[in-house]
Amino acid sequence: MAEWKAFYHNEDEEEEQEEGEQAEGDYKITGRDSLVFLIDASKEMFIKGEDGQPSNFDMTMQVVRSVYTSKIISSHRDLVALVFYGTEQSKNPRNSFKHVYVYHDLDEPGAKRVQDVDALREAKGAKLAAETMGSGETSLGDALWCCSNLYSDIKLRLSHKRLMIFTCRDEPHGGDSTKDRQARTKASDLKETGVVIDLMHLMKPGGFDVSIFFRDIVSPPEDESELALQLEPCQKMEDLKKRVRAKEQKKRAMARLKLCLGEDLKVAVGIYANAVTTRKPGAIKLYRETNEPVRSKTRTFHTQTGSLLLPSDIKKAQVYGKKKIVMERDEVDAIKKFDDPGLILIGFKPMESLKLHHRVRPSLFLYPEEDQVKGSACLFSALLTKCSERDVFALCRCISRRNLPPRFVALVPQEEEVDEGKVQTIPPGFNVIFLPYADDIRTLDTPQFPSASQTQVDKMKEIVSKLRFKYRSDAFENPVIQQHFRNLEALALDMMAPEDTDDLIMPKVDQIDDRLGPLVQEFKDLVYPSYYNPDSKPAAKRKTANTEGAAEKKPKLEVSEDELKAHVQNGTLGKLTVPVLKEACKQFGVRTTGTKKQELIDALVARLG
Amino acid sequence: MAGSKSALVLCMDVGFSMSNSAPGEEPPFELAKKIVQKFVQRQVFAETKDEVALVLFGTDSTENPLHQDDQYQHITIYRHLDVAGFDLLEEIETQVRPESQHADWLDALVVSMDLLRTETKGKKFDRLNIVFLTDLNSPASADNLDAMIDNLKKDGITLQFFLPFPVKDHDKEGGGGGDEDGTGPGHPGTGKGLSKEQKNSLDIMKHIMLNLDEDEGLEEIYTFRNAIEQLNMFKRIERRPMAWPCQMTIGSSLSIRIVGYKAVTEEKLKKIWFTVDAQTNQKDDVKRETVYCLDDDNETEVQKDDIIQGFRYGSDIVPFSKVDQDQMKYKHDGKCFAVLGFAKQSTVRKHLFMGNQVLKVFAGRDDEHAGVALSAVIRALDELKMVAIVRYAYDRRCNPQIGAAFPCIKEDYQCLMYFQMPFTEDLRQFTFPSLENNKKFTPSDTQLSAVDSLIDSMMLVEEDENGEKKDLFKPHHIPNPAFQRHFQCLHHRGVSPDTPLPPIEPWLKAALELPEVISKRCQVPLEEMKKNFPLTEVEKKKKLKTSAQIFGKDADEPDAKKVKGDEEEEEEYNLADIAEGSVTSVGSVAPARDFCTLIRKKSLPFGEVCQQLTHRIEELLKTKNTQYYMKSITCIQAFREQSVKLGEADLYNSYLQSLKRSIPNRKLEVFWDLLVQDALTLISQDEVEGSTVSKSEANQFLVAEEKKEETAAPPPAEDPGDVDDLLDMM
Repeated sequence: MAEWKAFYHNEDEEEEQEEGEQAEGDYKITGRDSLVFLIDASKEMFIKGEDGQPSNFDMTMQVVRSVYTSKIISSHRDLVALVFYGTEQSKNPRNSFKHVYVYHDLDEPGAKRVQDVDALREAKGAKLAAETMGSGETSLGDALWCCSNLYSDIKLRLSHKRLMIFTCRDEPHGGDSTKDRQARTKASDLKETGVVIDLMHLMKPGGFDVSIFFRDIVSPPEDESELALQLEPCQKMEDLKKRVRAKEQKKRAMARLKLCLGEDLKVAVGIYANAVTTRKPGAIKLYRETNEPVRSKTRTFHTQTGSLLLPSDIKKAQVYGKKKIVMERDEVDAIKKFDDPGLILIGFKPMESLKLHHRVRPSLFLYPEEDQVKGSACLFSALLTKCSERDVFALCRCISRRNLPPRFVALVPQEEEVDEGKVQTIPPGFNVIFLPYADDIRTLDTPQFPSASQTQVDKMKEIVSKLRFKYRSDAFENPVIQQHFRNLEALALDMMAPEDTDDLIMPKVDQIDDRLGPLVQEFKDLVYPSYYNPDSKPAAKRKTANTEGAAEKKPKLEVSEDELKAHVQNGTLGKLTVPVLKEACKQFGVRTTGTKKQELIDALVARLG
Repeated sequence: MAGSKSALVLCMDVGFSMSNSAPGEEPPFELAKKIVQKFVQRQVFAETKDEVALVLFGTDSTENPLHQDDQYQHITIYRHLDVAGFDLLEEIETQVRPESQHADWLDALVVSMDLLRTETKGKKFDRLNIVFLTDLNSPASADNLDAMIDNLKKDGITLQFFLPFPVKDHDKEGGGGGDEDGTGPGHPGTGKGLSKEQKNSLDIMKHIMLNLDEDEGLEEIYTFRNAIEQLNMFKRIERRPMAWPCQMTIGSSLSIRIVGYKAVTEEKLKKIWFTVDAQTNQKDDVKRETVYCLDDDNETEVQKDDIIQGFRYGSDIVPFSKVDQDQMKYKHDGKCFAVLGFAKQSTVRKHLFMGNQVLKVFAGRDDEHAGVALSAVIRALDELKMVAIVRYAYDRRCNPQIGAAFPCIKEDYQCLMYFQMPFTEDLRQFTFPSLENNKKFTPSDTQLSAVDSLIDSMMLVEEDENGEKKDLFKPHHIPNPAFQRHFQCLHHRGVSPDTPLPPIEPWLKAALELPEVISKRCQVPLEEMKKNFPLTEVEKKKKLKTSAQIFGKDADEPDAKKVKGDEEEEEEYNLADIAEGSVTSVGSVAPARDFCTLIRKKSLPFGEVCQQLTHRIEELLKTKNTQYYMKSITCIQAFREQSVKLGEADLYNSYLQSLKRSIPNRKLEVFWDLLVQDALTLISQDEVEGSTVSKSEANQFLVAEEKKEETAAPPPAEDPGDVDDLLDMM
């Protein structure tokens, strides 16, 4: 057990290291991402849906909130702004635009902002919006211009700029062609500076016609296909959330590599992470007096001379077989280098030979980089088509970064899938599955048990069918992280207590019991004999088999009074073990509060000495 | 405590026949020595507690306790049972060499057995093993064979033989390291045929082995070549799988006793490098110290006691003490494997498996009832093609996970395989442009068939003539090359400290490459692919980002600092800087800035840049809005400044004059007022020599207009207001 525990204990640390290994890539140099929510605040947005459905405005606010909180958790350095247009009141940096209300300018979202957005939700939110902003004339052109000012006022380097328009009006200016034109010009200005404009169009009676106006406003889809424009307007909160989510995160390649099929046949590909374990972020060290963050500086110096050591004054060493083996620092790195980064094709295998459990890391995703090597997309596409058609995967040797040793990966083809709303649910490309080496597979003694009979299996099938649900990978929030952030939120906002978190990964025992009803007992009757209790301590520890051994092992706990007194006199109580001492305390009615050895000894000495 | 421990005797033949070899082949002695070296090396680097002894036979001298008269001659106990260290490696490297005698290998076996018996006394070993390396080419007397076998059995000693030639026997299975490469090049020694002694010895050996283990005895006989291949690898990291006993629960009243084991996990090297002083190689001479300081100009140092911890909540930093954190953090009941429900296997996307381990879950040890119950679960899931979605927590201190338990039914066992699944927070839902719907990327039929034949030629799993599947490349049989290389280098540095590190061993390199068959077979299809898929490297264009770096701070700051430094500082770019790099014409966003940039860059003739600018101004003026007016004003300002700077007054003056003429017609009076406010008048001779406008004229230019405006309505007859005309003048 000890080993496992020790191993597990280290796991966090280990994984952290690895995280570093995986996640760095291109990330660090590129600057901040930014996202502007440009939201229609016209009267139409506040109309309640049928059957008490939330209004479009309410829905939007919920989505904005969820983006805020998720940004705080997973990418707190991104900048987000919240701007309303078509308002009665105006509020913007130089107050040069009418009917544009900058609720939040571009900044990192924080607790206060989440609270602000919360205030705009539901009925009270609608009221608040009406009081502070009201609904008035619309000029999308002004709104866009105002947003472009937000961008240019930012002193930070922005790597990705996105603007999302939420509206349920397909003709915001009611046919005023000057305003339409103005908006178009402004939109193209924005796009020219690299801002991607998305439309999150919401349901409106009679349908939302993108082609009337918004087609010229939004950025063309990446693949130049017409698909994106035919999107249905969002009706449901979930759809909207999904759609926003899909756009909100900027996809970044962890690495750009060449997939080498053979000599002189190299395709440029980008590697992306589909899922990255989100961890509780590390603590920041603060100065007690001012609560300002402190910086840490680490220095290496010579113990004797006290002089600072340069990297060249240092070597690395390990001890094996009682011998200290010393290497230069760059040798330590050089050992890890086998080849330059890249993916080398080894061959193909049928999918069935990829074992389910042969994987050692979360998988990654591969997509061609046409702008690095022209022709990549075509070859990639052909490879993808053929691999999935023939149900094979490509086996490759992969070095993802400089000075990393190779690993073998399976490139598993994945065809594109879209949902009813024509939103892509699964992108086309290869999943990269990291395969284990011989060292990574542990040999287990597989215990053998009798197999269950068909009746038993059938009963279990009934149970399984009763507890069927539709699994969605995005349905489970991490209770640890959620709790952590709720706590912080509570502290940041001076709330009395943190908001309750739902532990979504807790089984709903009552519901399960309800659903199963008598099935559980029936199953138990089939598999367990009546005397058997699976909840009791495992019977395996039965001592009967080797009573002798067990008895021998059990230390004698009793010590005679004489012996004990002798120990006390000679001051050799320390020789006895803690359990013996405890037993002795009991024996002599010595009451001890402590459990430490010295405390027990002291108590005994006090009594007998 | 803990851990199993073995005692091993390496019993190596160094007699003269071991040095014989066919031309071009390595003598068996060298191979055997390599095996011994590798073996010891593995022991050293795996840091096992195993004890190793080395017995040589065929030595010129004799050194063993059984030696008496002419009994047990030419057998030397070179090293007694001890934990293998670097010293042993060094000794083998330098001192073990071929010698010229012969010794009865059975005698050597007896010496080894005796050694094991006497030297393991009082110590606990789980396994006693004798490894024999010989060509069996010495006369052996099988006199007391049965007694020997009995003794071997009694003492629980196992035997392994390593021979220079393969033992032909009824088909042996590949497992356990037998000869898999029947197709490979012949083993050395086989060509010559075996000598009488060898045949005799072989029979004895088989007899012993089969007596020790009827079924698998012969599998413990290896060839040198195979052994080297296998031993080449440093000992694979073996961690004893630790049991994780728990209960699988479904609802409140159904629980099944289970035990989990890590089955697959990415192993890491346990040891880390420590830092030593370059001169003395002493660890103690180097000390690292971390100090904390405020982020102010003086970098005021802060004492450790004055530091508290906080966390980031978006832009806020919230002080949050460890105590509070522990108090408020998520707590749970510890160890669990609780079913939340069951889902279709197809809904659990396998590429979303998280974590870096796979858990195999069996029924509780020796618990038949649990076995049956779990079997029912496994088989039900298998038949329904479903999985259990479970909450898994290793223990109280570990964070709980969500995961999927897949049924796994093998011939000899059944289990659940648990994979961690992502939480909502972990997912990055990226969308990628469709490949299919994009005509540019759609491959043609010829292209597709080229890929087809490439796949054909590079198929790694093939059926042999018996219809059995054969996999030519199994990554999970390859030892982690990083570990191998690591140990190779450590070993090298250990035995020869002053030489540079060796290259990667050829076998390791070869093991990572594609099989020869494949690389030959795919040549033609690859050529075809090259023909069909033109690939051209795109000249690395400077992207916006990069140009920002050029124009931004990067220019005066060294690269290294940039990466390491605090991002906060580094990020003071603004949009203007970023866009600047790519300005090729006067855009509509910031025409004035673009104009200035272009003038500075001199990439376009002055006249053309001015024309572009005036074009933008005219566009702006079409929209009657103060915002736009302001922008136009800035443009005119820039126009004027640049013109003065360059001493080119004409273009500006004539534009302004024509602009003025068009004001009334275009109802731009408000705009003109702004122009007047900013005193943007004509460029006079005082400012630019070549100007045809005098200073007073320039002053009058705006004033006159004012008066005019005051006095009379604009003359409508004149119609110079057309933009095109204006532009034509340029």
